[in-house]
This record gives sequence, structure tokens and C-alpha cells, in this order.
Amino acid sequence: MAAASAVRAAGRPSRRLFDIFVAEVPWTVSSKELKEYFSQFGSVQRCQLPFDKDTGFHRRYCWIKFSNPQDVQNVFQKDPHILEGAKLTLKQQPHRRHNQRKNQSE
Amino acid sequence: MAALLSSAGRLRALCSRLLPFLRPPAAAARPPAPVSKNIMYQVRFLTVAPQEKGSVKEEPISEIQTRRTWQFDWALNKLDTSVRKTGRIPKALLLKVFHEICKTGCPGSNQTLLLLRSCGALLPEVLSPERTELAHMIWDKMKELGAVYDTSHYNALLKVYLQNEHKFSPTEFLARMEETNVQPNRVTYQRLIAAYCNEGDIEGASKILGFMKNKDLPITEAVFSSLVKGHARSGDMKSAENILSVMRMAGVEPGPDTYLSLLNVYAEKGDADSIKKTLEEVEKTEGYLMDRILMQVIFSLAKAGYPQYIEDIKERIRFERELIPDAMNLCLTLITHGFEDISFRILKSLNHLSRDNVDQGSFFLQHCVNRDVPVKKLKQFCNELKEAKMHSAPLPFILRCALEANKSALAIDVMKMMKEEGLPLRPHYSWPLLVRFQKEKNLKGVFEVLKVMHELGVELDTETYTDYVFKNFADSETARAQLKKNDCLFETVGLSVAEIRYEAAHGRLNNVLSLLSSASTPPIDARQFRNSLILGFKSSDDVHLWSKITELLYKDERYCLTPPGPTEAVGYFLYHLIDSMSDSEVQAKEERLRQYFHQLKKMNIVIPTTHYSGICRLLDSSQVPELIKGARLLSLKKSLPTDNIPESAKSDVSALEEKLEKRKAENQPITDVLKQLIHALCEEENMQKALEVKAKYEPDMVVGGYAALINLCCRHDNVEEAMNLKEKVFPKNSPVALDTGKYIALVEVLGKHGRLEDAINILTEMKEKDVPISDRTVASFFRILNAAATRGEVETVNRLHETIVNLGLAETAVLHSPLITVHLEKDDMPAALEALINCYKKYGKILQLHNIYCRLIEKGDADLLQKVSDFISREYGDMMALYDLFFAFLQTGKYKEARKVIETPGLRAHSGRLQWFAKKCISSNQMETLEHLVELTQNLFECDRDEMYYYLLQLCENNGDWGKAEAVWTKIQEENVVPRAKTLTLLADILEKNGQVVPFEVPKFVLKVRHEDTRSSSASNVEERKIRMLCKKNNAKEAYNIFLKMQGKNEFHYRSYGTLIKALLTQNCLEEAIEVKHIAETHIKGFTLNSAASSLLIISQVRRDYLKDAVAVLKEMLDNGLLPTRPAVIALTQTLAEKGDLKNLQALKNMLEDITKSVGVSASLIANAIALAHTKNNDLDAAVEYLEPLLISGAQNPDQAVRNISYLLRKVSEEGLEPALEKFGVMAERLASQFGIYRPVTDLFLQYVSADRVDDARSLIQRCGALVEEKRTLVTFMARSASKPGQAKKIETLLELIPEHLDMETAYRYLMRCYELDGDVASVKAVYEKTKAKNIQLHELSLKSLAAFLKKVGEPVPFTEPPETFKFYVEKWRKRRSEEAS
Repeated sequence: MAAASAVRAAGRPSRRLFDIFVAEVPWTVSSKELKEYFSQFGSVQRCQLPFDKDTGFHRRYCWIKFSNPQDVQNVFQKDPHILEGAKLTLKQQPHRRHNQRKNQSE
Repeated sequence: MAALLSSAGRLRALCSRLLPFLRPPAAAARPPAPVSKNIMYQVRFLTVAPQEKGSVKEEPISEIQTRRTWQFDWALNKLDTSVRKTGRIPKALLLKVFHEICKTGCPGSNQTLLLLRSCGALLPEVLSPERTELAHMIWDKMKELGAVYDTSHYNALLKVYLQNEHKFSPTEFLARMEETNVQPNRVTYQRLIAAYCNEGDIEGASKILGFMKNKDLPITEAVFSSLVKGHARSGDMKSAENILSVMRMAGVEPGPDTYLSLLNVYAEKGDADSIKKTLEEVEKTEGYLMDRILMQVIFSLAKAGYPQYIEDIKERIRFERELIPDAMNLCLTLITHGFEDISFRILKSLNHLSRDNVDQGSFFLQHCVNRDVPVKKLKQFCNELKEAKMHSAPLPFILRCALEANKSALAIDVMKMMKEEGLPLRPHYSWPLLVRFQKEKNLKGVFEVLKVMHELGVELDTETYTDYVFKNFADSETARAQLKKNDCLFETVGLSVAEIRYEAAHGRLNNVLSLLSSASTPPIDARQFRNSLILGFKSSDDVHLWSKITELLYKDERYCLTPPGPTEAVGYFLYHLIDSMSDSEVQAKEERLRQYFHQLKKMNIVIPTTHYSGICRLLDSSQVPELIKGARLLSLKKSLPTDNIPESAKSDVSALEEKLEKRKAENQPITDVLKQLIHALCEEENMQKALEVKAKYEPDMVVGGYAALINLCCRHDNVEEAMNLKEKVFPKNSPVALDTGKYIALVEVLGKHGRLEDAINILTEMKEKDVPISDRTVASFFRILNAAATRGEVETVNRLHETIVNLGLAETAVLHSPLITVHLEKDDMPAALEALINCYKKYGKILQLHNIYCRLIEKGDADLLQKVSDFISREYGDMMALYDLFFAFLQTGKYKEARKVIETPGLRAHSGRLQWFAKKCISSNQMETLEHLVELTQNLFECDRDEMYYYLLQLCENNGDWGKAEAVWTKIQEENVVPRAKTLTLLADILEKNGQVVPFEVPKFVLKVRHEDTRSSSASNVEERKIRMLCKKNNAKEAYNIFLKMQGKNEFHYRSYGTLIKALLTQNCLEEAIEVKHIAETHIKGFTLNSAASSLLIISQVRRDYLKDAVAVLKEMLDNGLLPTRPAVIALTQTLAEKGDLKNLQALKNMLEDITKSVGVSASLIANAIALAHTKNNDLDAAVEYLEPLLISGAQNPDQAVRNISYLLRKVSEEGLEPALEKFGVMAERLASQFGIYRPVTDLFLQYVSADRVDDARSLIQRCGALVEEKRTLVTFMARSASKPGQAKKIETLLELIPEHLDMETAYRYLMRCYELDGDVASVKAVYEKTKAKNIQLHELSLKSLAAFLKKVGEPVPFTEPPETFKFYVEKWRKRRSEEAS
């Protein structure tokens, strides 16, 4: 089943992939504050900040997806990113373009 | 530094082993109590017990055991890092490690020790009784799990008792040890004395002292320190103070421990004057660093109730960065004991050490929260921290601490304070509290939190309800009712969304329908609950409900708030619904989906075509069969034959003589036999006879015979004859050359006989005749220079060195050191120092520094010492200079001075330097020096103590000194170090080899190796050790000789064979190495060389052209699951290609197929090699036919890709195979123009650039302009060019040809680096000027490197040198590069 859905996932345009991985998110902010912060660079489509249901604290990292992939560049024009006094660590997520290409050549 | 020297006093080794001669101190001079008879018996008990155990232990290594060592390392590292970084262990970490160890079931001896010793002062955050309780809990639990306790464990427990001031009966403790047949040792007694002294029981302490005296155990400083305390606590201050003079009389100097003890007892009495007096005295006479001691005095004052004296002590402490861990621990301890106000004062003294806006005092606040400091006080601390700008957000921080520690009342209070301060409050702040109450099933608590949050004006969001509130109830309806009943129902959109989501996610679609149709539900965008709804649909089979809900979404305006309207929204919803289903789900629900679509149709619901076609595509793809991709098995095909190397037959002198005579008589040609005879005589070292034979048959002598004779004469110091022969047969102008070894022999003997000019001539001749220079030759050069240096011949050394270096015969750092040695030999220190500095300036190397330091210290030449220290400080930093000084003081036995150096504030452990000196002590058998090294580094920040003791044990092992080894074990306990398994094993080894009992449980996984050891008799162990030592010292030949002599008598240790083989291979003794391997194989079944040795073997074989053997070795390695090293694979592949050996290359290719990545060779390597082999076989068409398809598919398939052909092009170009180059060039251009594959043509272009064929390169770029897009290849090319000298031209050419396609900063950085490597000052400066003119911003790394270069050649630096270290900029540059790449 897993393999099948992987094949399907590879066949479609990637939707679930995020643009940016953010680490060292201060505990005081929630995804609302993160969304607000990143909105200055473009329209934020999704922000996923996983919480540990066992402690009620989030895990200090999150993923951001912009509606428009070009906005990602705006984010990386700025350095450092400081949110509520804490320096965020950002990493651009790799795009799996070759995945699609591979699929076509098969 | 002059001050250091002037205070160089007499030396008194504080070493414990000298102390047995000392008389016991007066206080202990009462008649010793009779020693319990039981103790005598115990000795025997102990000798029996472990032996019996030993026989049981011989079991194969099981996975659990290896896992255990792994686990231990993990635990040790965790705790050790914590201790080294912070000087403490968080209780939670200790418990975590404890539980992990419990889980594995069978705790090892050192694991238990590790846990026990962590239960004392290392837990400053825990109160003493609790710490002792923890220790007892661990003790019992580990025992239950089968831990075996030895003396070290009892000693560790004692230490914990002392640190925790735990009251216990020392006699009972001893009795308990006796019951379990564990023998107390010196450390045990010392600690028992301390225990009595803690209670002020001098009588009890004296009793133990009696035991010690009876056993001839030395009385150390630790005992005296305890006695100071003991007397004081018994109320006898006079005797306490008197201890210091008593110990001096006994020959033990009071050290920091003693003074701490004395200061503490003054503190307990509140005697501030005496404290002050003592401190001033110590500072004046001893010069110890008192800061850490003072901190403990502060704690004593606080505990004894004299806070008024603390300020005065505090002012004496220099709060520097390196004191932070200690200061933090003091703060924590004070808080733990309820002195948070004093603690806060200490904390504020650290204010000036803040950096980079990092918050200070978080640890303080956290611990205050944990220790339940009142809210009011907390608030005051927060305010003050904020005002002092030490902490940016103290309130949110303590909120987090309170939440983490489950202190809900405090958390709520803090949130109230935050609201007052205008700080934002957020829904998720309540989550940890809700989680806690949910776990406790405390509904009241949940309601309370909801109410408080509401009062604080926080509107709780959907997640709060779905994830943390509703879970307490059966469903959202019950939740709603309960919330209402308890006055905490606050109607919000968040709550409504939560209800819908919660019901949907739990598959209660009917509830969802009623919620959605209820008039009281506010408008909500359907996307807010889409995912939950999809979940609900999938878990329900009620198509009717599906349709009803979908209809609501379509028709009720509340649920499609945003444009473009319901059509889009539902289309989107349906698409996601199908998308979220797996193929099997789609298949299983096929019928229902069909019904669903029908009903929607009936409801007149339509969706946009784009969504419709998307859904179709999804449904279509659900038919895709599963792809199963199995892992291809790594199977190697049929084996290749292995050939043995034939042994050469030896010739016998007398037989040859006869043969020669006979031939001569028969008038047959005798040249061959004559040559053999000369060689045989040379082998026998019979110079006289050889010269006679030569004279007799002069006309028939051939070149080879003369060469051997010359060598023989050199060996026998017959310089005249050697030179005569040389001049006669190999004159300077003749094209015939001697081989390297013979030239070297000549130079050596000429140098020795003072014929400097002749020696220089020989060297010049070597260069002219282009004699190959190997590593061995370089070593010989060194030997020659060093010999001249030891003879003190300054001119000979300087001139020979100059000739060797100027002729470019060798460029190794070690060659320069005789330049300095020669002055040391002549005891001319100013000249030696000058030579040192010259060497650094000319060659960038620091040599003989340690020897210079030592000599200067011995001579007491403070001025020069200052000079050399300043020089090293300037060039390498203070830390290096301090280490050099430290080692020199140690080496010269000035331990007091060494101590002062190593205690320099801020000095950290530098494991590399420490290892260097320790190894030096080990190899030169300096036990005393090594012991002092270990002792003096005891308090060195971040020093790996286990490693230090391991060095000591290594030397004990070399000397077979079990007594010392046992003393080391005691020391380890005294210092409370937990040894690694490696250390324990070595210790056990030493004891066992010397027929001693091992008084502890040996880590089990090493038993097998030890078992092998015991098979061989002790006689062979000595030889074997010798062999290993010789190998370590690179004297493989000597080791081999011993090995041959030993042969047949005994079997060797598995590891020794490997060591010897590797050493032989490193020195290019292939035959000998193979011989040892054969012997090993016959003696040890299944003997295999390890990966490194096998790879070396391959390289040696390749060097000798034994390619078939090399392939066979590689095959054997892979069969044994070993990976060859990269250089071995590359050497073999390239040489096979050179030989055109397609068959073996193909075999190699098959072997390496799956492991190229692991070995680190690129897939292109083999492909290039095969193409080259075809070329060598004159089959260019085959080469192209083979390579071209690979390049085409390589461009499409990123894994295992063959992309570049640079190696092939370089080879054919270098060897002038112009047709081949042309053919491959045509192929490359074809690939570019027809397939858009540019890498090969780029390689061609760069090859032209490398070969300085600028016109070819230029016309190529005109034809295939796009090749410049291969930016990475270009950068790599430049980087490679800048890694070796003499390649600046390549980058210049690139800059000339394609300037607009290069990143100027990069290109100029590499260009500059090239010229720096060339040492071309003028060009470096010119390049720098160019960058300035072109306004190119060089990276700091380039500027740093440039500045270093200019300084080295004595040129001014025309810009401000970047301030940080070189390493810093390298890191910075790397970071930037990786950011650019990502």
C-alpha cells in the first residue's frame, strides 16, 4: 500500500512539500505568529508546527509553504531572522523535481 | 616568566610512592590499633575468587555484551560531557541513563561505578539526603541486576557519603566490605578518615591511620586535610592549625586541599580575620589560584550562618569566563540550600561576562522555580535581571520552567504578571497544564485553566479544544454540557470548529450533520475542517450522510465564505477526498463512490472541469500496480587465481668461486658469475675479498658489480676506495647513474670524513642525473644531516641542507631540524633560537622547540626563554606557548613551575598536545614525567582523565610494571574517574600477564583476545611487545628480524601480525610483509589483514607491478567483507589501465560495482580507465563505442553516473597520443551539439588549458560556447589548480579566455592562492593590486591567507588583517559555500 501511494504521489504535482524548514523556533510562538512573521515575504499557504501531545510544548521546528514558490527567495534575502528575540535557523527544502522527471522517463 | 624561574625551588615529588618512607604525623603517632585478622584472610579470599570466575567467563562474545559496551559509551559520553562542560549532572539525565542501563539488564562494573559517583557533588540541584538516597537506590538495584562490587565501588560510595555529609558508621562500612570479601585500599582508608573527621572524631580517624601505617600505606595530603577538619570540628582549632607544620615535617607540602580545609573550618567558626590572614599568606607564598577554593568558602559561610562575610570573599574572586561553570554550580548549590539571595548576588557578579545578547541567569531562574522560591521573590529577581540587561525575557522564561515542572499555580501567577507587564499571552501556554490535568484525569483542573485563560483575555483556539479539552470527554456534546455546567463554556468560532472537527474525525457524521445544520453554528470556511471531514467520510459507509453533508457545504453560505464559490469548494473537497484514499480504499469503496456521485448529481451539485479531470486522473492511477524494487544481492562471481611469488635462490660464495675458476679455465665468459660472486661477497660483508676479486678479474667487471662494491666500501667506511671506483666507473659526465641508495651511501661517508665539497658534488650529480627520490631517500638525507649535527659541524649541516633544499631534492619539514640540532649540540642557545626563527620564516615550520625550551630552562636563561615564548605566542597564540612551557617544565623536572603554567586561567585541555607529550614519555620510558603530567592536569578544564590514565597504563604495560599499574587503579578511584572498558582491559591485561589477581570484573567482550594471549608463554610476550614497539617506532626491519628469530617457537597475537605487516608495507618491504602474511595464515586459521593493511598491500603490489596479486588481494578483501581504501582502488585501476589490461579491469569493475560509493571513487574512474585501456591497445573505436553511451545515459541517470572524461584526456594528452585526443575531442563535441551534454567538452577545454594549448581552447569555445555553463566544473578545476604549486598559469589562461563567465572573486582567490603556493611574492602582490583596481571584494579567508603569506616573507600587509583565526574563516567560507549549494 505504501509503495502504491508513493507511486501515486510521484505521479502528481507535489502538493505536500514545504518550502522552508525552520528550526530553533522559540517556545512562546505558535503557528499563528509564525504565519504572521513569514507573511511579510509573501502569502503563506501553510505553516506546520508540530506539538508534542505528551508535554503540550511544540518541538521547536516548523515547516512553511508559500502560495508562490518565488516568495521563498524573498525570505532568504534576509538574514538573520529574529522572532521574539530568538534567531531562527532556516533551511530551504529541496524540491523533488527530478522525481517527476524520472517518472516521465520510465 | 623570569619570576617563574626565579622561584624554581627544590623539587619534592609529591608522588605517593615516595611517602611510605615518611614517618606518620604526630596526631597519628599513637600506638596503632591491632589489625583485624580478617583483613589478612581477605587477601587470600580475593586471590581465589576471581580465578574461579575466570574459568566460567570464557564464552563467545554475544550481541548483548557488545551492545552493553556501546551503551556504556553512550552513557559515559552523556554524563562525561555534562560534567566536563558544566561540572554537574542534571538529575533527570542521571535517571535517564540509570533507566537505560537497567533496561539492558546486566550492568557492567564501570556502568555501576559511573552511576554511583554521579550521586554526590555532581548533583548541585539536589539536596544531600536525596542524593544519598539515590545512591542507595542505584546500589541496590544494580546489585539486584547482578552487578559485582569491588573496592572501586565501595570507594565511590564513600566519596558520595562524604560529599553529601551523610552520617554513617565507618566501622560498619568496613565490616560490610569484609563480609563481601572486598579488600579496602589506601583510598578507602583515606575516605574513612575523612568520615570520622567530618564528625570531629579524631579517635576514630587515628584508628584508621593505624591500619594504614600497619599496611605501610603512604599518608597523603588528603589525610592531612581531613585531619585539619577533624580537629577543628572536635573544637581544637590549635591542633587543626598545627597540622600544616606537622605535614611539612612529614615531607608533605600543604596544597590547595589543605588550605581549603583550613579555610572551611574558619568559615564554620565565622572567623573572618583568620580567613583573610590565611588567604593573604597563601597568595604571597604559594601563588595558587584561589578562586575555586574561595567559592567553596562562600558556601561554608552561608551554611554556617555568616552571610555578612561573604561580600568580602566574593570581591577576591576574579570572575572570568572560565569560572562560569563553577560559579553556576555555586549558585545552584546555594539555591538548593535555600540561600537564593546570596546566590543572586553571585549571579550578578557574572554580569560583565555576557556576550552576543545571550540571556544570563536562565539556569538560576529555572532552579528557583524547581526549588519553589516564592513568586514575589521570583518577580523581584526577574525585574532586577531585566534592569541589569542580563535577561531579555525573564517572565516568559519562568513561565516555561513552571510549565515544564508542572507547577500550575505558579504558571498561572506568572501569566498574570505577564499580563500586567503587557506581554502577550497565547492559547498554547495553557496546553502543558491541560496535558497534565488530562493525564491526572483532573477535570477540575481543566475547567480552572479554561476559566483563568478566559479571565486573562485569551481566546482559546480550535486546537486547544480538539487536542487538549475534548479528549477528557466521551464526545463534544458531553464536553459542551460539562463546560457549561462548570461555567467555562465560552462560545467562539474556535469552539465550533473544534466540535465539527472532533465529531468528524471520530466518524460521527450524523453529529457533524446536525452541527452544520444548527442555526447557532457561526460561519466557518469549510477548509477549516476539511481534513477531519475527509477522515470522517473514510471511516463511514453511510453514503447518504456523505451526500447530505456535501450538499450543506454546497448550499449553505456559511461554509463557503471565500470566493470563488461553492462549485470550486466542493470540487476541491472531492478531489482531496479521493486523493487521500489509498488505491485499495478506492477499490474497496468503488461501489459507494459510484452511489455518492449519483446522489450528488441528483442534488444538482457540479464541480469545475479542472477538478473533474484531476479526480479522473487519480482514479485512473489507482490501477497502477505496485512496484516492488528488491535489493539486488551483492554477489561476487567466481574467484580469481592467486599466484605465489617465487623466492629467489641464494648463492653461495664458495660454489660461485669454484664456478668462476672453472669457467675461466674453460675460457668461457665469466661476467655473470663474477657479478654474482661480487654480490655474494657484498652480502657477506667481505670487503677485503671483494676488492681482491675485483682486482683479479678487473677486465670482466660489469657496472652492477662496481655499484655493489661502492656500496660495500661506503658501508665499511672506506671512503677513498669508494670514491676511486665511483670516479672511474661512474664519472660525473657519464650518462650512467648509480642508484639512489648508493649515492646516499657516498654522501654519507663523504660527510662523515669531512669531504664536504665532494658530498655536495654528489648531491648535484643526483639532481643532474635525475635520480629518483623516495621517502626513504629523504629519511637518509635526514640521517646524514642529523649525524653531522650531532658532530656539531655547523658548516656541514648548513651547506648540505642548503644544497638538498636548493636542488629541490626534498621538501620535508623534518629535514630542517638538524639546522637547529647542531646548535643545541654545541650548546649555543642564541644560535639555536635564531635557527628556529629562521626556519619558521623560510619554511613556515617550527622545529625542535621542545628541546630548545628544555635546554633554556635547564640553563635558567630567562631572557631567551621569554624571547622564544613571545615568538610562539605571537605566531601560534598563548595557549600553544603555555603548553610548550608546561611540557618543558615537566621534562626538566620542574613540577612546581609546570603546575603554575597549567593552572593559568582559561587554559583548556588540548588533547592533541597532551597526547603528543604522553606518547613521548611512553616511548622514552619516562614514568616519573608521565605521572606528573597526569597529576598536574587533574584540574585542567575538559581534560579526559580516563585517557590520561590510559597513557600511564600503557607505559606500565611496556615495562611490565604491575605494581605501578595497581597504584594507577587506586589513583583512578581516588580521583573518582570512571574508566572506560578499554582502560580496564589494559589494566587487567597487565595484572594477568604478571601473574596478578584482577580485583575487578573485566569487561566481557575482550575476553576472547585475552584468552589468546594466555595461550602463548610469557617469554614470547616480551618479544612480541618488542616487535610492536619497534613497529610503532617505524623500525619495521628490526621488528621483522626479531620476528624471524622467534619464528617456530611461539605463536603470535593476531593483532601483532597485522601491526608488523602494516609497518613493513609502510616502509616498502613488500616481500617481508608477504612472508609474514603467509606465516600468519598458516598459524591462525582464517587470518585476514584488516582493511588498512590490505589496502597498503595492494598499493605496494601495484608499485611493484604485481597487478595480478593486487587484484587477488582486493578480491579476498571483498570476500571477507572489507572495504579497500580509495587510494588503493585508484592506484590499481589506473595502473591496470596504463597496461591496457582490459580483462582485469573488467573483473575489477564487476567487483567494485556496488561499492564505488562506499569507497569514495567516482563511477567515472573505471569508465575512464577502460577507455584508456582500449586506447593503449590501439583500439580507439572500441574506446569511443564503450564510453559514449555511458556518457549519454550518465547525463540522464544521476546515480552511478559516468560524466567526466578528464582523467582519460589528461592521460592521452600527457603521453602525446594526439590521434586519441582528437578522437575523444570529436566525441565530446558531438555529445555537446547533439545531446546537449557539455561536461565532456568542458573537460576537453580544461585539458587544453592545462596543457597550455590556448589556441585550441579558444577555437573550442567558439564552437561550443555553452560549455562555460559548467560552472561547477570550472570552479573545481580552479580549486584543484590552487592545491599544488606551479599551476597559476592555468587560472591565468582561464581568465584570459572566458573572463565574463568566471566569478571574479573565486577566480582571483584561487589565483592568489596559486602564487602564494609558488612563493611568488611579486605576482601575489600584483594579483592583489588587480583585485583592488577591478574592485573585487576578496573573502576574509583570502585576505587572511594573503596576510599570513606576506608576513611570512617579511612584507608589509597593505590592509587590516581579519582579526579571527584562519580556521574561523575557513568555517565561515565553508558555511557560505554550503548555503550557496543548498
